Amino acid sequence: ADYLDNGNNKMAIQQADKLLKKHKDLHCAKVLKAIGLQRTGKQDEAYALAQEVAALEPTDDNSLQALTILYREMHRPELVTKLYEAAVKKVPNSEEYHSHLFMAYARVGEYKKMQQAGMALYKIVPKNPYYFWSVMSLIMQSISAQDENLSKTMFLPLAERMVEKMVKEDKIEAEAEVELYYMILERLEKYKEALDVVRGKLGEKLTSELQSRENKCMAMYKKLRRWPECNALSRRLLLKNSDDWQFYITYFDSVFQLIDESWTPPAEEEHCVEGEVHCSVEQAVEFIEERITEESKSSRPLRGPYLAKLELIRRLRHRGCNDEYKLGDPEELMFQYFKKFGDKPCCFTDLKVFVDLLPPSQYTKFIHQLLEVIPLLGGAAENEVALPGDIKALQQHLCVVQLSRLLGIYHAMDKKEKLRVVRELMLRYRHGLEFGKSCLKTELQFSDYYCLLAVHLLLDLWLEGEEAAVWQCLTLLEEGLAHSPSNAQFKLLLIRIYCRLGAFEPVAELYSSLDAKHIQHDTIGYLLTRYAESLGHYAAASQSCNFALRFFHSNQKDTSEYIIQAYKYGAFEKIPEFIAFRNRLNSSLHFAQVRTERMLLDLLLEANISTSLEESIKSMSLSPEEDDIPWKDLRDNRDLTVLFNWDPKDRDISEEHRKLSLEEETLWLRIRSLTLRLVSGLPTLSHPVQPKNSEKAAENGVSSRIDTIRALLQQLEVALDSGRKFLEQKIQYPVLGPPPTRMAGFLSSGSCQCQTSLFYLVSDIYELDTNGLEDSAEIQERIGNSLKSLVERLTDLFNKCKGDLIEVRDGTLKTHPNLLENLVFFVETISIALWVSSYCDSILRPFKSNLQKKKKKKKESSVAMPPVFTHFLDYVTELQTLTSNVIDHIKGLEIILTALKLEELSLKDTLLLQEEKKFTKTVQGKVQSSYHHSVQEIGELLKKRLDTIKKLKI
Amino acid sequence: MTTLRAFTCDDLFRFNNINLDPLTETYGIPFYLQYLAHWPEYFIVAEAPGGELMGYSECVTPKMLMLWMFTVMGKAEGSVAREEWHGHVTALSVAPEFRRLGLAAKLMELLEEISEKKGGFFVDLFVRVSNQVAVNMYKQLGYSVYRTVLEYYSASSGEPDEDAYDMRKALSRDTEKKSVIPLPHPVRPEDIE
Repeated sequence: ADYLDNGNNKMAIQQADKLLKKHKDLHCAKVLKAIGLQRTGKQDEAYALAQEVAALEPTDDNSLQALTILYREMHRPELVTKLYEAAVKKVPNSEEYHSHLFMAYARVGEYKKMQQAGMALYKIVPKNPYYFWSVMSLIMQSISAQDENLSKTMFLPLAERMVEKMVKEDKIEAEAEVELYYMILERLEKYKEALDVVRGKLGEKLTSELQSRENKCMAMYKKLRRWPECNALSRRLLLKNSDDWQFYITYFDSVFQLIDESWTPPAEEEHCVEGEVHCSVEQAVEFIEERITEESKSSRPLRGPYLAKLELIRRLRHRGCNDEYKLGDPEELMFQYFKKFGDKPCCFTDLKVFVDLLPPSQYTKFIHQLLEVIPLLGGAAENEVALPGDIKALQQHLCVVQLSRLLGIYHAMDKKEKLRVVRELMLRYRHGLEFGKSCLKTELQFSDYYCLLAVHLLLDLWLEGEEAAVWQCLTLLEEGLAHSPSNAQFKLLLIRIYCRLGAFEPVAELYSSLDAKHIQHDTIGYLLTRYAESLGHYAAASQSCNFALRFFHSNQKDTSEYIIQAYKYGAFEKIPEFIAFRNRLNSSLHFAQVRTERMLLDLLLEANISTSLEESIKSMSLSPEEDDIPWKDLRDNRDLTVLFNWDPKDRDISEEHRKLSLEEETLWLRIRSLTLRLVSGLPTLSHPVQPKNSEKAAENGVSSRIDTIRALLQQLEVALDSGRKFLEQKIQYPVLGPPPTRMAGFLSSGSCQCQTSLFYLVSDIYELDTNGLEDSAEIQERIGNSLKSLVERLTDLFNKCKGDLIEVRDGTLKTHPNLLENLVFFVETISIALWVSSYCDSILRPFKSNLQKKKKKKKESSVAMPPVFTHFLDYVTELQTLTSNVIDHIKGLEIILTALKLEELSLKDTLLLQEEKKFTKTVQGKVQSSYHHSVQEIGELLKKRLDTIKKLKI
Repeated sequence: MTTLRAFTCDDLFRFNNINLDPLTETYGIPFYLQYLAHWPEYFIVAEAPGGELMGYSECVTPKMLMLWMFTVMGKAEGSVAREEWHGHVTALSVAPEFRRLGLAAKLMELLEEISEKKGGFFVDLFVRVSNQVAVNMYKQLGYSVYRTVLEYYSASSGEPDEDAYDMRKALSRDTEKKSVIPLPHPVRPEDIE
């Protein structure tokens, strides 16, 4: 066993063999050997050996545990349940085996059996947890039941009765048991009863969570719409902590509900069980003013009361009240807030929520009012910028700059003004670095946001058509990163911009320095996977897909383990949550995308190059019939707000953008997944069918395979059509919002038409195959025509790849990433063309050799070769020529890229300072090198493809 | 001025603004799930006032500004006798934007309060030796370095592993403040209980 732990599997197998020679029937040794076999890749042998032992229904601990480990490694948790089912039958009083059985069921989600196993356990050893495991299993049955009625009338009431029984017998011991009771009542919508439990004696056990009882009561009051209690409780909690935002919200909600209901307090007795109730605006105003007064006495400044006042104004305005209640002018209040908290970095985020209260005509005045109170030094002389003398003043000034952007003041400026602001912000940025000289590498610089905001302004200019601005963006960001190497926002923005320019090479390094891992593969992995492959960085694309897939695959195993732990520790409310989490990851859009793209990529890089298409597809266990993407439940787990922005609401990423982006991603995924399935269907067709047995073969299912292909092709046409319709909307996402998919390029480059006609060709060739050569003139002609038009289409696609990738225009660089993307589409399309061609080849070759045999027999020279052979030969020759031409073109691109002397570029823009020029050079060098890299990888792959064409000459 | 609430699995999808900080480790799923399975009530997240109150479109989810995980623990058996029962901070990270508001200090007070209630002897935490901002902050809050744990933090990409300080503060139950007497020698990670 030690050998296994050390990973020395071979020695472990040897040792186990030795033991087995001495003791033939030592189960445990057999299982250990099986583990060794499993780990050395001999799954079948391992399985056979394990089943041999399992069939004997072992009851010794060692064998059972070892088998459990083995089955888990085999990803066959269901076998563990069988194992322990047998064990408890033989040793019916074992607490341990029963408990293992329960956990084995939990791992596979057999809720009904869990319920029974829990009760069986409780009967052997009457410990409370076992009883409640059984109760929880009922809740899980209710959650997983398709029929909601069944869940509400059967499972949950049964669970309730089981708990009630324990309550009556006064057997409730643990907090978890009370939590579970509450959970059942809540799910049954018995809020009143739930409230009684929390407020009653059982509720005293709820001590672990902060304010557990209060939070639960509040939730029930809300469900029951008991506004007096909501109000009184939130008021009390605010008296204790006037900085907890959620209670202000409940307090305001309840006050206005009570006003709308014209609620009046009872004359004599207490307002309600929770104490005093506020039911008028006057009381609310007074309460908030009191909080502010109290705050001024507190040692630690609290933001809550001030923001609550703004919130109250907002709500009153919403109800049509203006200043009847003398709360003050929001502009003035926000100004006061700024004076008090402007030096805190969060001041902007706090005020952002309330800028709607300002009238647009007052924006400029408001900003000036804020600027005036910031203690800045200098600026007396004209053209001199007044600068902050300390970090506090800098922070205040930054807050104003952020607010200016939020209020759209910069957006309204013309080009000249914008450039002036950029210069000023960069001056402030560099000046602010002085305050951060002692900052560690892991800390951010105080003035980083200035740089970021300057870049945002330049991005606006770029989108308005100012080509040079984008280079300046990169320049400033690289400069910023040099001073603040841990700033994730700099890195993220650099990643987005480099990708937009078609340069993936610098992105890989930036992304890896973010140290994004685990769940972040799902949330921000899209930043990489969207661009790596489409820009021809195949190796990097493979790698990023692999990282993501490794994460997703481990999820299944990981979550099961912790579902079991949650039972053990009685964290019952977490069990459905963990299961929902597992589902969310399993149905992740990104997961489905990387799964599909990874396989397409593998085929692209390997199929018919290093291994045959058939073998590649077999090793991926791909089949055209199978669709493992949960289309209806796809979850978009992307974090689309990971990049900061300060845009006004109408320019910001909206819910609509998210919805559209998900729709677009799903459409594109469908196209890709159908393409993959169509390709995976090719080898299933190409088994040569003996003409005599053709009918038999049809019965055997080859004809159903072509039906599958034809059906998939129909689906692809539908998907493409939906894609076209989607693109007609011409949606523009915000520049830092979701990146658009490759779908537009796929459709406009013409590779889409090429790929579909290739799959139609497959269908025609199949027809020729089943029909035979005789009387096939019409089919042959059809094939001839489509081969001809294919060559034309591929040539058109090539034409769309022509042009310089990087050009110098008016002293500015301009990149053409779309040419690169088209080249990548070309390579992919040529690869599909070649796979289809080898299918054609496999059909035509036997025909030809048959004909030649006939020819020899009859010794006639007049047996005419059917035209399809000539068509195909011509086609293959033309494919070869075209591919060679593209390779030459790529070589040409490489030469141009190498010859491009960026140093000689005189950037006319005088905006650039000397030190900036250094960064500009680096940036342009990185882009140039990345394009070079792309072209090389694409060229190499294409050369490999060219070699495979030579095999097609029939 | 925040909303404190229990962390849920869905929060894992949106904690990037906290976790892309170089000193905040993003752990594997098992780490978070184990925590949630064991101490769901001690894994807390703070949120800024969000959009739902603003009539902003629903997509404006409030910014997460802080993650906080702690436990009250000790070796289960005999830990009280051996005076090992204590509160432990597993992780505390504040998003850059919400720093310098005294949030961490407030939460540490809260943990000390809970640990007092549960009868702990001291509160402790591990911090990177290089994270001077944090070390100084904890010192200000009354914590002192109890011992150095060698190569506690495994580094990524070729850099050497980093040492940790184990910092402690005695609670009222430890009347003689025995728990915080510094150890003379550093220890290895495998030696800590």
